[in-house]
Amino acid sequence: MTAILFDGVVQGLQLSLLAVGITLIYGLGGVLNLAHGQFAVVGGVAAALFLQFGLDPISSGFGGILSAGILGLVVDRTLLLPAYRYRGEERLLLGLILTLGFSFLVDGYLNWQVPEFSLSFRLPVPMVEIGGIPMRTASLAASAIALAVFAGLFAFLKLTLTGKSIRSIIENEAGAELCGIDPSRTRTLIIFLAAMMAGVAGVTQGLSSSLGTEMGPEFTILGLLVAVVGGVRSINGTLAAGILLGVVNAFASHYVGAYVAYIILLSFAMATILVRPTGLLARFT
Amino acid sequence: MLLRVESLHAGYGATPVLREVSLEARAGEAIAVIGPNGAGKTTLLKSIAGMLRATRGRVHYEDRSLVGLRAFQVARLGLVYVPAERELFPTMTVLENLELGAYTRIATARKNLEYVLALFPRLAERARQLAGTLSGGEQQMLAIGRALMSGPKVLMLDEPSTGLAPKAVAELYRNLSRLKRAGLTIVVTEQQVPLALSLTDRAYVLEQGTIRLSGRSAELLGDPGIKRAYLGVA
Repeated sequence: MTAILFDGVVQGLQLSLLAVGITLIYGLGGVLNLAHGQFAVVGGVAAALFLQFGLDPISSGFGGILSAGILGLVVDRTLLLPAYRYRGEERLLLGLILTLGFSFLVDGYLNWQVPEFSLSFRLPVPMVEIGGIPMRTASLAASAIALAVFAGLFAFLKLTLTGKSIRSIIENEAGAELCGIDPSRTRTLIIFLAAMMAGVAGVTQGLSSSLGTEMGPEFTILGLLVAVVGGVRSINGTLAAGILLGVVNAFASHYVGAYVAYIILLSFAMATILVRPTGLLARFT
Repeated sequence: MLLRVESLHAGYGATPVLREVSLEARAGEAIAVIGPNGAGKTTLLKSIAGMLRATRGRVHYEDRSLVGLRAFQVARLGLVYVPAERELFPTMTVLENLELGAYTRIATARKNLEYVLALFPRLAERARQLAGTLSGGEQQMLAIGRALMSGPKVLMLDEPSTGLAPKAVAELYRNLSRLKRAGLTIVVTEQQVPLALSLTDRAYVLEQGTIRLSGRSAELLGDPGIKRAYLGVA
C-alpha cells in the first residue's frame, strides 16, 4: 500500500515537472506543446550518451538537462516561428500540428538510432527506512530534485524582475508590452526553462526506474492531463495535481491495469473541466 | 517638436478608421483629442503607441520615425500609453505592477517609485493588495503610476475618466495637471470635453476619422460649435 503511494508521489512529481512546462509554454506562447514528452526523452537519452562517453553521473545528468533545453530553444526559434506569426486559435492549431509532427520525428529518429535503448543510472543505492517503510534512495533523490526545481521556479517567478515579467505576460500580454517588455524574448526564455524541466523529468525517470525512447507520447499525455487538472495558468495547482494524479495512476495501474488507469485519469481531467474549469487551485502562483 | 503625426491613415483590416490625421505636441505641452464615440480617438493613440500598424503616414518622435516599431519598443523610447482598459496585472500586487512599469529603467526605479507613491498616496496604502481588488479610481491611478515608473517623456491617456465616479474624475484631473506642471508632455483623449479642454493647452477635434478643427483649448471651450456638439449647451 504505502509502497504504491510512495511510487505514485515520485512519479507525480515528475509529471508535475512536465505539466508545469506545458502550462508555462501555453500561458506565455499560446502553443500547446505536443512534443513536450520528447524533450524529456531527449534529455534522458543525452544523459545516457554522456554516461557512455565516460562522464560521471552528475555531469551526465546536467548535460542531459541542458540538451533538452537547447532542443527547446531550437524548436522555439525555428519550428514554431510560423505559428508565432498568428494569434489565438490559429496559433494554437498550427502549434499543435507542428509540435505533433515534431514529436513523430523525434520518436522515429530515436527508434532508428537507439532502438531498445533504456536509460538507467543503476547507481549502487541502498534502501533506507523512513517511518518503517523501506524506500529506494534513488527515488527519494528524484523527488528531492523535482521539489528543488519547483522551489527554484517559484522563487524565480515570485522574486525576480524577469520572473515577474513572465507572470505579467501570462496575465496580460498587452499590459506587459506597454511596460516595455518584449514578449517574444521572454517566450524563448520560458521554452528554454520548460524544456530543461522536462529534461529533469527524463533524467530523474532514469534515476528512479528506467527511461525508454518510446515514453515520449506517454509523458506528453500524462503531462497534459496534469496541466488540465492543475489549471493551465496555475503553478502550485499543477504541482498538487501532479502528485494527485501520480498517486491515482499508481493505484489504478496496480489494481486495474494501465489502460483503465488512463481512463480514470481522463475522467479526472474531464470532471475538473466541468467542475473547476480554471483548475484545482484556480489561481496563478 | 517632440511628437509629430503626419497624414496618418489607419484602420482594422479592410475598414479604414483614420484619414489624413496630423497633429503635433511640443515638449511640456498638453494636447487633447476630442470627438464623438467612434471618431477614431483610440485608433489614433494605438497607432502612435505601436499597438496598431498605420496603413499610411508618419509618426515622428524626437526626430525618429516610430513607423514599424512594436508597442514595447515605443514604450522603451519614453512614449508611454495608458489605454482606457488600463491593462493592469490583476492578480499581482500594486507594488509588483509598479515595479514592472520600471522594467526597462531599473536604475531609476527606486526614485520613480518614491515619486509615484508621493503623487498617489492611496497606492502606497494599498501596496501589498492585488491590483484586481482596487476601485476604478485606484486602478486608474495605478495605470498612470505604472506608466510614470519608467520616467517617460510623453504620457498618452485614452479616456482616463471612463468608468470613474465624479469625485475620482476630479482627483484624476488634479493629478494630471500636477504632472503637466512638472513638465510632462500629455496627450489625452476624452469624452468629458470641458475637463480635457481645461487641462490642455491645445486641442484637436476628431470626427469620422479626420481632424475637423484644432486650436487653443481655451478658445475651443468658448467656441459655439463645440459648445453645441460637446458641451451640451445650445
